[in-house]
Amino acid sequence: MWKPVHVFAFKRKFDFLGQRRTALILSTLINIVSIAAVFTFGLNFGIDFRGGIAIQAKAKDGTAELDQLRNTVGALGVGEVSLQEFGDPSTVLIRVQRQEGDAQCVAGAQRVMQKRAGQGWLVKPGAAGTGDVEFTSPTPLDAANWRDAVSRAGLTLQERQLPRGSTNTARIDMSIEQRAEWCQQVAIKQVEDAIGANYEMRGTESVGPKIGDELMRSGIWAVIATMAAIAIYVWVRFEWQFAVGALIAMLHDVISTIGIFVLFQLDFSLTALAAVLTIAGYSINDTVVVFDRVRENMRRYKKMPLVDLLNQSINETLSRTLMTSATVFVAVAALVLFGGPVLQSFSVAMLWGVIVGTYSSVWVACAGLVYLGLRSDSLRPADDKADKTDKTEKAGA
Amino acid sequence: MLNLPRWQTLVIAGITLLSVLFALPNLLPASVLQHLPQWYATSRINLGLDLRGGAHFLLEADLRSVLNERLTNLSDSVRAELRKQQVPFKDVTVEPGKALIVNLRNEASRAKAIEAIRAFDPSLAVSGTGDTIRLAYSEQELTRRKKEVIDQSIEILRRRVDETGTLEPTITRQGDERILLQVPGIKDTTDLKRKINQTAKLTFHLVNEDIAVTGQNIPQTLPPTTFLVPTREGMQELRRTNPKAWEDIQTANPRLSPEQICRRYQPQCLPVLKRVVVGGEDLDDSKATFEQQQGGRPIISFTFNSAGGRAFCAATRANIGKRLAIQLDGEIISAPVVQSAICGGSGIITGSFTTQQTQEQSLLLRSGALPATLTIIQESTVGADLGADAIQAGTVAALVGTALVAIFMFVAYGPVFGGFANLAMLVNLLMVFAGMSILGASLTLPGIAGLVLTVGMAVDSNVLIYERVREEKALGRSAFSSLATGYERAMSAIIDANLTTLIAGVLLFGFGSGPIRGFATTLSLGLLTSMFSSTIFTRMLLAVWVRWRRPTELVI
Repeated sequence: MWKPVHVFAFKRKFDFLGQRRTALILSTLINIVSIAAVFTFGLNFGIDFRGGIAIQAKAKDGTAELDQLRNTVGALGVGEVSLQEFGDPSTVLIRVQRQEGDAQCVAGAQRVMQKRAGQGWLVKPGAAGTGDVEFTSPTPLDAANWRDAVSRAGLTLQERQLPRGSTNTARIDMSIEQRAEWCQQVAIKQVEDAIGANYEMRGTESVGPKIGDELMRSGIWAVIATMAAIAIYVWVRFEWQFAVGALIAMLHDVISTIGIFVLFQLDFSLTALAAVLTIAGYSINDTVVVFDRVRENMRRYKKMPLVDLLNQSINETLSRTLMTSATVFVAVAALVLFGGPVLQSFSVAMLWGVIVGTYSSVWVACAGLVYLGLRSDSLRPADDKADKTDKTEKAGA
Repeated sequence: MLNLPRWQTLVIAGITLLSVLFALPNLLPASVLQHLPQWYATSRINLGLDLRGGAHFLLEADLRSVLNERLTNLSDSVRAELRKQQVPFKDVTVEPGKALIVNLRNEASRAKAIEAIRAFDPSLAVSGTGDTIRLAYSEQELTRRKKEVIDQSIEILRRRVDETGTLEPTITRQGDERILLQVPGIKDTTDLKRKINQTAKLTFHLVNEDIAVTGQNIPQTLPPTTFLVPTREGMQELRRTNPKAWEDIQTANPRLSPEQICRRYQPQCLPVLKRVVVGGEDLDDSKATFEQQQGGRPIISFTFNSAGGRAFCAATRANIGKRLAIQLDGEIISAPVVQSAICGGSGIITGSFTTQQTQEQSLLLRSGALPATLTIIQESTVGADLGADAIQAGTVAALVGTALVAIFMFVAYGPVFGGFANLAMLVNLLMVFAGMSILGASLTLPGIAGLVLTVGMAVDSNVLIYERVREEKALGRSAFSSLATGYERAMSAIIDANLTTLIAGVLLFGFGSGPIRGFATTLSLGLLTSMFSSTIFTRMLLAVWVRWRRPTELVI
């Protein structure tokens, strides 16, 4: 049987809060840079929030030719297109911007019909101000055949939208919004037709304009609601200085995580949002451990200056703070290394969250307690003779 | 603290054992599962579409147009009614998406007009002054109608998408006006879209009463105007008594005509005239209701549009006392006897129905046409091999993550304490599996990420306890007392840490959609169960261990 190894047992006591000014500057800098980066470079929102199309395609033989693909798909008139290698050199993720349902889309629909239903098909936009689309078939079709034909271009129809009897043209009534949603389908079909010969479509995702806007809204609400709920919880459980300290630490973690997304231009998708919320929840974990000890020590050492007391508490809990972070760190590291390309941005963000969460529990949350003047009124200066740290504490408060 | 009464030990062990039992069907190989009872072997975690491969559509129903159409129809009826009641009016207009405006010629006839319209549709709220009458559906009524449209669309979609009953689609309502359609194992969405677009063929025919068809006694030749159609009950009977034949009919290629089915398999059939009295495209609505008099028997009411109403009126007037067969996709769903001429566009079907039967039948009558346009607003298709890759990546990440955490705990806390923490971690994983099996939740790729994350977080509780024990031991406490105090003092931090992360998990579940909910599920479930496994379960293990080994010094 082997003996346990005290992985993070340090003989020396560190003067963590002695560095609090440096930490304050560093943290403020990180956060300001993060916020500024969001406004200047912008978050690289995924299609979940922006609307659009993502197609994962795999080259049928060998490597995916990114440049060639970019030219082919870019020439389709589907708007902005971005490509990236995804997982391995043969797989590529093609992202197409969200479709607005303009004339280009109708022209695209005609190409799709000609390719899929036969030459001779025509598709034209209807009256201006509506989203109507007029289909013309080379031969007269009855309602059932119309349905069959237009579903090739990804249209789902209601019976009464179809012509009665046997006709050559069918005008499909749509609102402008409905046409924009349908144009997503048209764009997918266009990409499939353009590259289908050499690439296999492994998966397709399309988020219409409406859902994109909604998810963005509900995502923002989710972040606000989660932080508020955690804030209320911490408020109820701790004295106000602790609560404020923990919340500043949480904000620090969340903002800097978003900064990481901008810095590495990681895809900010729903999974990324999940990472941000989880980091908000996890950020409190380490903080709570230290705070628990601070409270305990405050009862035990009534006369110890605050900075010393905090330093002692941090040192006492240091090994467990590092151990708990380490266990989560190794688990997340496994996700980064083996979780595959889909989880990549989530895992990288989580990894950062674990590191920054540990840092912030010491240098943001505890340092915050000093600046917030915890217990400064209950400390009688007369008792703390020749105490330098006490003066700095007052200055800070 | 460590002196657990025997019953507590038993309860904790019992809960653990139950979780293992519930989780087991997910872990056993197929060869073992087939020897187990089916209800047990099949209670496994569903894989989400991102792992399993398949298509996912979010469809939005255009309820505004449905409402406008209803209002337009209503305006026709109101006009007719006012003329009939000889109320002078200027015009009846539709305020799109909102209301119907009736402009009367003089204020004097206001009361009479309102009375006439009210009798026509009592659910309309009346407002307006002078010679204008504003008719609108109340919020409540609108909500009810919206719900009806969505429910109806769901039923029709189910029928269309899963004709053969083998696709296992999941069709659920999402919010007020959306439907989520998930079909596992499908890659070609064009085919699926064609199915969504496909309309059931509903037609009304007169029964040829001159020909008697009883059981197997089918006349060899029929008049050219007549053909045989199996009844729905007959087909259901056949499915029960001769499943093989039913299967053959479903898979026959080319599809058998109704008459071929009748002659080959002899289900109960009816001879009907080929001429179509009226088609399903002219049927506006149908619902299950109750008769006004005669004890309120369950009946089915239906409404035609004007063209259908005229045709139906003429046909029923000429055929009182005869049966009118309603054919849906080659089956007769009902053949009521015409009691009287049905004019004015609406009628009822009476018979000895149960409420359930009337609901079923009215639903079938409505399945001709989708009540609202469904627009695809979100779509995702995952190929089976992409799903398989995701499963593989997820599994490897989970195994490596668990192994790394386990090694770490062994190294840091030794074979005994590290072992207990790792055992608790495994129990936690099993409990999450069990919980998901019981809840019927789906495991997605982000869900696997959540699982890996909880593995790392679950042992945190043990770390907090053990570190406290080390501290207490360093203060010179006895083995027993260090353990007891360690558990006691670490508890509040454990609860705080888990609850704050749980808050994030639960809110994410509420706001998120699709695969993200999978993440929220495993994370929240994992944190909840870890509070049991990492604290209560390990405390039990330690209590038993302490009693057995009576350690004087802790190796921690």
